[in-house]
Amino acid sequence: MTDTSLRIVIAEDAAIMRDGLTQTLTRRGHDVVAAVADAEALRRAVEEHQPDVAIVDVRMPPTHTDEGLRAAQAIRSDHPGVGVLVFSQYIETQSAAELLAAAPGGVGYLLKDRVADVSDFIDAITRVARGGTVLDPEVVRQLLTASRRGDTLAALTPREREVLSLIAQGRSNAAIAGTLFISPKVVEKHVANIFDKLGLAPDDNDNRRVIAAVRYLES
Amino acid sequence: MNTYAWMVLAKVKAWTRDHPWQADGLLAVVLFGFSVPQVVAGQTGPAARSVFLAVTFLVAATVVPRRRYPVAAFTAAAVIGAAQIAFGVQTGGAGPVFALQPTNADLAIVVLLYTLAAYRPRPVSLAGLAVCLFGSVVAIARWSPAHTAHPAGALFGAAAGLGGVTLTAWVLGDSVAYRYRRAYYASLEERAARLEAAERARVLQEQRARAVDESAARLRRIERDLHDGAQVRLAALAMTLGEIKENLEQAGDDRTLALAGAAHQNAKDTLAELRDLARGIHPPVLDRGLGPALGILAGTSAIPVGLTVAVTERPSPAIEAMAYFCAAELLANATKHSGAGRVTIGLREQDSGLVMSVADDGSGGARLVPGGGLAGLRERVQTVDGRLEVDSPAGGPTTVTIELPRHA
Repeated sequence: MTDTSLRIVIAEDAAIMRDGLTQTLTRRGHDVVAAVADAEALRRAVEEHQPDVAIVDVRMPPTHTDEGLRAAQAIRSDHPGVGVLVFSQYIETQSAAELLAAAPGGVGYLLKDRVADVSDFIDAITRVARGGTVLDPEVVRQLLTASRRGDTLAALTPREREVLSLIAQGRSNAAIAGTLFISPKVVEKHVANIFDKLGLAPDDNDNRRVIAAVRYLES
Repeated sequence: MNTYAWMVLAKVKAWTRDHPWQADGLLAVVLFGFSVPQVVAGQTGPAARSVFLAVTFLVAATVVPRRRYPVAAFTAAAVIGAAQIAFGVQTGGAGPVFALQPTNADLAIVVLLYTLAAYRPRPVSLAGLAVCLFGSVVAIARWSPAHTAHPAGALFGAAAGLGGVTLTAWVLGDSVAYRYRRAYYASLEERAARLEAAERARVLQEQRARAVDESAARLRRIERDLHDGAQVRLAALAMTLGEIKENLEQAGDDRTLALAGAAHQNAKDTLAELRDLARGIHPPVLDRGLGPALGILAGTSAIPVGLTVAVTERPSPAIEAMAYFCAAELLANATKHSGAGRVTIGLREQDSGLVMSVADDGSGGARLVPGGGLAGLRERVQTVDGRLEVDSPAGGPTTVTIELPRHA
């Protein structure tokens, strides 16, 4: 998938998932430098190994609530070079938005189910490791549904809504073009239209674009 | 008697009940008053008369403390009565002690026997009755020589008179006591029943609270078991199937690839279903508190939700879950039926409980119909003694107010 091998730390309290992820990532040529079961061990592992990316389960001991989310935010502020991909059994739009607001770039929030599509999942890890932003499609769908900007969003064409959704997920123009089977030129036009209709300043930086889109949907 | 007379009688009765000392004092005065002519009629000097008056007064006065000290009062009267029988009656040789002649005031003994029967246990009042009857027999025996003309008739008359009066007093007193006792026992029984009912209610309430808490805890455990068990295994399985699928894509075995693809899709669909199921059992965000949970509910709502949470101390998990599910259902109702443009959810503390209001600016007309969603919510809330009120005039707006205790 990727040419470069990533150095990865995994924090997941369920052994079967921890081992499964380790094996899968190793088979794909990545280097899992540590696989731990709780937030404290994660903190130490990140400090010690300075990985490219940490994959963090939201619910971990001791309270099984949002240890992973807190740990992810701490890693982003203490080790800006380490990307963090948080994955959760459930989608919590608020947590995703919080994560995104705290650390533009180098973060991701995915539903745990996404590991099933191995290549996509590894692609997401790679993007986060490279400083990109990844947001689960389900989070984006909920953001679009719950957005108070219903009237403005209604002004978008169906294709523009699709593009907006992909922007919010953290996709680059090239990736959007590939997903929708359209040319990069057409994507650029759609993006310009969307930002114009929503009254957002156009931005070529993918991360800032994601944040602008999410902030817009959230507010 | 006419009604007016009854009324006066009832008033007098009430007054004597409320003023026992004054009433008995009056009785003593009356007894003494009826005796004074007898004392005055006696042929004797002023000094002896004074003593006679004093004794008579003493006899009459025994009725004053009768309610407080029935036995002592009776004993005092009986002792004086015995002295009168012993020394106040003219017998063959010696003349009577003038001051100890019986008078009308001796009716005090009858009154006191009645009092004894009414206020003291039966053995005591029976002893009093025995003393009175014995005294009557002795008195009649000592008096009898004075009635020589028709001894048998006089004896019979005296016996019937004294015995009758004594017995009547005792029977009257005893029947009053019986009524008192019956009323007392009835009140005791009623009190016992009330205490028992209160105790039962308390025990039931405790059991219910335990059951509610346990079931909430069990649901939370089931969700966690699903999360740590089946969901993780299924995700790992889906991941493996995903890898198999990708490997087969490279191998070019289309038939096996189709099978693996179907299995992979199945695993992913099952994961999604399992997640919905687990979230329906116990939304994990509730573990962080009602505020964050409602926040997520508001954040994922299709219509804008204004949320105000003013709760300092977390209620029990069962109550939090109940409030959350109520809010979720009311929000879903508002989205589906009301055509509202905005929903407001407010959660605040009130006295020892919580008040949650869910209001929308929709078309109104929401009704509590048996078997309906709102009625179901109300039933659920009532299992913990909560309340649910619906205010939804036609044309809107709709406000549903739910009151919940902090603990089941």
